[in-house]
Amino acid sequence: MNKLISDIRELLKKALDNKVIDALLLPVKVPAGDSYSWVILKDDKLLEKASPIPPVISVQGARAISSLTRRGKLDFKIATFMRPCEARATIELAKLAQADLDDVVLITFDCPGAIELKKYTEKPEEVEKEFSELMGNWESDVIRTICKMCDKFTCVDDGFATDLHIGLIGLNGKMAFIPRTEKGKKFLSGLGLKSEENLNDWEKKSRELIEKKRNKRKELQNKLKPQVVGLDALSKTFAKCINCRICRSVCPICYCRQCYFDSEKLKFTPDDYLIRAEKSGGIKFLPDTLLFHLGRMTHMALSCVSCGTCEDACPMDIKVAQIFSIVGDNVQKLFEYVPGRKLDEPLPLTVYKEEEFKELEV
Amino acid sequence: MEDKIGIFLCECGPNIAEKVDFDKVKEAIKNLKSVKFIGQHKLLCSDDGKKYIVNAIKEHGLTRLVIAACSPKQHELTFMKVCEEAGLNPYLFQMANIREHCAWIIEDKKEATEKAIQYIKSAYRRVRYHEPLEKKEIEANPDVLVIGGGITGLEVSLALAQSNRKVYIVEKSSELGGKLKEFNKIFTSMRDAKSFVEDKIKLVEQEKQIEVLKESEVEEVLGYFGNFIVKVKTQSKESELKVGAIVVATGYELFDGDSLAHYGYGIDDVYTALEFERMVKTGKILTKKGEPPKSVAIIHCVGRKECGYCSGVCCMYSIKFARYIKEKMKDAEVIEFHRGLTLPDKNYEKFYKDTKALGVNYIYVKDLLIEGNTKPIIKYKTEEGQFEKQVDMVVLAQAMVPPKGIDKLAKTLRIAQDKSGFFIEEHPKLAPISTSKEGVFIAGCAQGPKNIKESIVQAGAVAGRILSSLVPGKKLEPEVRVSQISESLCIGCQTCIKVCNYGAIYFDEAKRVSRVNEVLCRGCGNCVASCPSSAIQLKHFTDREIHEEIVEATR
Amino acid sequence: MGKLLEFKRPVEEGLKELLKTLLEGGKLKAVFTLTKKDDAVFYTLIKDAKKLEETTPLLPLMPVNAGKLLSRLTLKESLEEPIAVVIRPCELHAFVELIKREQGSLENFLFISMTCGGVLPIDNIAKNELDTKLNKYFESIKNVKVPDEVRPACKMCQNFLPYNADMVVDFWDKDINKTCRIFVNDTGEKYLNGLGFELKNTNQGLDYEEEKFKNLLALKKENEKKILESYKIEEWGMDGLVKIFGKCVGCHSCSRVCPICYCNLCEFDSDQYEYAPSTYSTELEKRGGVRVPPNTILFHLGRLTHVSISCVGCGMCEDVCPVDIPVSIIFSGISKEVQGLFNYTPGKDIKEDLPLSTFKEEELNEFEE
Repeated sequence: MNKLISDIRELLKKALDNKVIDALLLPVKVPAGDSYSWVILKDDKLLEKASPIPPVISVQGARAISSLTRRGKLDFKIATFMRPCEARATIELAKLAQADLDDVVLITFDCPGAIELKKYTEKPEEVEKEFSELMGNWESDVIRTICKMCDKFTCVDDGFATDLHIGLIGLNGKMAFIPRTEKGKKFLSGLGLKSEENLNDWEKKSRELIEKKRNKRKELQNKLKPQVVGLDALSKTFAKCINCRICRSVCPICYCRQCYFDSEKLKFTPDDYLIRAEKSGGIKFLPDTLLFHLGRMTHMALSCVSCGTCEDACPMDIKVAQIFSIVGDNVQKLFEYVPGRKLDEPLPLTVYKEEEFKELEV
Repeated sequence: MEDKIGIFLCECGPNIAEKVDFDKVKEAIKNLKSVKFIGQHKLLCSDDGKKYIVNAIKEHGLTRLVIAACSPKQHELTFMKVCEEAGLNPYLFQMANIREHCAWIIEDKKEATEKAIQYIKSAYRRVRYHEPLEKKEIEANPDVLVIGGGITGLEVSLALAQSNRKVYIVEKSSELGGKLKEFNKIFTSMRDAKSFVEDKIKLVEQEKQIEVLKESEVEEVLGYFGNFIVKVKTQSKESELKVGAIVVATGYELFDGDSLAHYGYGIDDVYTALEFERMVKTGKILTKKGEPPKSVAIIHCVGRKECGYCSGVCCMYSIKFARYIKEKMKDAEVIEFHRGLTLPDKNYEKFYKDTKALGVNYIYVKDLLIEGNTKPIIKYKTEEGQFEKQVDMVVLAQAMVPPKGIDKLAKTLRIAQDKSGFFIEEHPKLAPISTSKEGVFIAGCAQGPKNIKESIVQAGAVAGRILSSLVPGKKLEPEVRVSQISESLCIGCQTCIKVCNYGAIYFDEAKRVSRVNEVLCRGCGNCVASCPSSAIQLKHFTDREIHEEIVEATR
Repeated sequence: MGKLLEFKRPVEEGLKELLKTLLEGGKLKAVFTLTKKDDAVFYTLIKDAKKLEETTPLLPLMPVNAGKLLSRLTLKESLEEPIAVVIRPCELHAFVELIKREQGSLENFLFISMTCGGVLPIDNIAKNELDTKLNKYFESIKNVKVPDEVRPACKMCQNFLPYNADMVVDFWDKDINKTCRIFVNDTGEKYLNGLGFELKNTNQGLDYEEEKFKNLLALKKENEKKILESYKIEEWGMDGLVKIFGKCVGCHSCSRVCPICYCNLCEFDSDQYEYAPSTYSTELEKRGGVRVPPNTILFHLGRLTHVSISCVGCGMCEDVCPVDIPVSIIFSGISKEVQGLFNYTPGKDIKEDLPLSTFKEEELNEFEE
């Protein structure tokens, strides 16, 4: 893995030197060496400390791109290296005018998964070592559960929109350059590189892996369902939620300035609460924990990319990502929508199809 | 400043008083915070009742009202006027319907009273969050823009000009008159089409109030009903028009799809309807070889399956075609292959029968296909079986479809199209000539396939509507209960813009937030429902107001 | 404090008995206290006295600072009828600080607190070792030692005796399985009138002069010294801040769980601090690299400026931090100094105005120097 990372670094350095792009947006190891943060950089020294494939997702890449381009296009060209789930979330944000990708070359790679952030925070060196040994192992046990069940870790068969994808599966440590857009092709040619002609091995192995991961996803989701299907089960699972809202703040899709569930509209008089307490003898205070989670599901499930940042952050270890992914998968299937698949594919929320009314009439 | 809320209970004669125990109601509401006056009256909507309210407001300095009476649909406006009379903003008042929702539907007095109390408390709780809203008035420009110089556009323009309005006609081609000037005759009168249209054109050209822009297209439309600013491009020159209303009379084209080949188009002597009309206008009906055809087949319903609708006109014009042929060649064999004849008008049946009497054959087919090398061969299926017939000439009666490139105009005007591409009317029965965008009207085939008579009727309707709603000097009162966006909460995702039917929201690039044009907003609330962070609220129906009412009602 | 109520019952049982009697005796409209159910711990608002049996008022866990909750309860209107709340000193103090900012109302509350031994970090709630840890905790309480298991903020907390409580449960140095001791002030006494409880006069003080509390205070001061020395905040400068906050992911949860952070829309979440593309360009040219999203340290320093005068050292911030930054140590450490500058103790005196809105002419002289 370390060799791969330094090879990619070389590439990116070349891109900077050859002025193919003006700056890079990459995860860089922080000065204290205990985490990574996204940095937009030009400086070679910073590039040395960058890791295009960090062992953890500290900040979801889509949040970084959004912060960079929300207020308008950059006046310089950049390239960024992101995990597929981060790229997909970026595409979703672009649809919502929260990111501008015009001058961004989005580069993705076959993702082996990421490790729990809490684990990394405790023992960064150990986790770095664990992760570096992941090269070639696409079914590792050390990655997060949400990664174990991810079937969108590669872009074979148009899994997601990207400018340039680096294929790694089944290639014995080699990199296959797979441009998907004109921008990607231009980037490659600016580096004097050729796009990979023979993708047969990569496609075959990737499809096999996807099949395996899909089955794993079904298996793990079925195991989890009894804990969340039905009001009683769901209440029990979320009973320990302390309403800290961290799942919402780290989620790339939750882009609202002020969450509806924190707004004035849901602040009531003492009497309102007391009457509710009267009805059942006693209520959790503040009540409506489930309202927040179900409401958040309603608002973002269509674009949920199962990146797992929410679960990584939850202080009460609730399996937020896995639960939200169950809803996300089902809702996305209903609308035949895959978040991050295509930039010009509109969000189902704003698409009106007359025939859908008939389903309601019946 | 302290709120002084007044709650008025209406007995509504015996209607409410007999079913709701007012003493219990008064007991339940007397301690509500800020309630400074509770009144009861036999009939609040009567003159005496209204005076009672006005006096109470003035005497007690009431700042908000709850009126527990009948349905708002009945008397909300009445009581709003009463508020205005008493110097109170009419939006600082809420009605509680204790007649239709309580007294009239609940037999048990105790139950009805309990429900009435709940309703009144909910209204009281809601009204505390009402904001005073001011009615607005805007100046309106009485001029009109008509897009399309065909028969419909000409009719509208003349009707408006004759009532002294200034009208601009923007016509894409280099001539007025539309499709009609290419026709030979008009059914059922079989009158000359050209002279009919030319008369209209002459009137328009003589009319000083009408300004015609030929070879022109509408590029951009800004503004709102009463105040549109339209950018028009004439060849390469740009000009700006200021109008109060816009009429879309862009007409139609004939079906031109791939399946024309299925009907033999491409084989010699298979003609489209328009090609045939043009041929007839030259005075002679001749095959490619220069001979008069001995047999002519007229094929109905060309494109009907693909379009998914009946154009309602082609049967009639096919019969007209049959007449053309019989007029020129009495002995020619004329067969009309149809899938059921559409003859809805009072004169149509006679037209058909008279034509049939000239010796025209009508064959009802289930399936039809035309092949051939030198001469067209019609292969068709009826209830009796499969048949073949070779003819000298075939005329295709095509469906009417929207003109190509009309999508661009729909986007420019921000009006909706149905899935066939015709512009959608506001309501198929109750509002067939206006669109969801106030001030933009549709007439003629722009709205859907129709014949000349219907087009002229719609033209008249549109003109009438414009004349009555856009009166010179009369000011317009736009909707007051409109959406508003909190700049600090808006994150600029533009979801509201995507779901707004009225084009009433625009994006402020500098601040990167969305903004509402309050004159265009119709208060439908689509944007409010779609904003995930509730940065956009509907005045008088804010989440807060609605929540308070519901929370109280469900306690 | 005035009187003492003492009975030979396990402490939590005794307290629950007291609450039940108050509720059933019509003295209270409801009781607000902690409950543990399976692996969840949360505050509950209880009207049915039977439900009190399920509660765990003295469980040393804090899923949320109750001051924040009481503020939410009384934000729109004050209570019309009495509610008894069982909360920790820092939670009560936080509530008082919020009242000073018009974020609630004190009316009709019966405040019941305790001489606090601290709380365990919330990640213990769902763990198997919770019971073992709790046993060790109460052992320390009995021996008047600071429990090892508690939050770092609790280890150094020197405000473990509640101000403004009407009843205070004391369980240091007594066997909590045998005795329930509750100090009661005048207000508390009024509530207990006619309910058959025997109140004794007492000489024992509920202040830091009382021997066992004096000893504890000394232990806490030692802890504070040790902890702060290991961090050496005063030597940090910008580099030190960068090191400590380097792994911050900008989730702002520390702010969301902080009782003193009450703003509807934090200015650091607003569009004010977003960088325009031109700002990124300029900064990138200047420095060669810019962290994205920006303003990591600005957020913490800004928040510190806003809350430090009222920080009660509850430690919620550090508990929720997903990357284990010692937020509560930094914040309570620095806040203590800021409060010292103004001679201000949060939550102590309800009538004392916030230093932010008080003007003292002589303080200007300090600047002139």
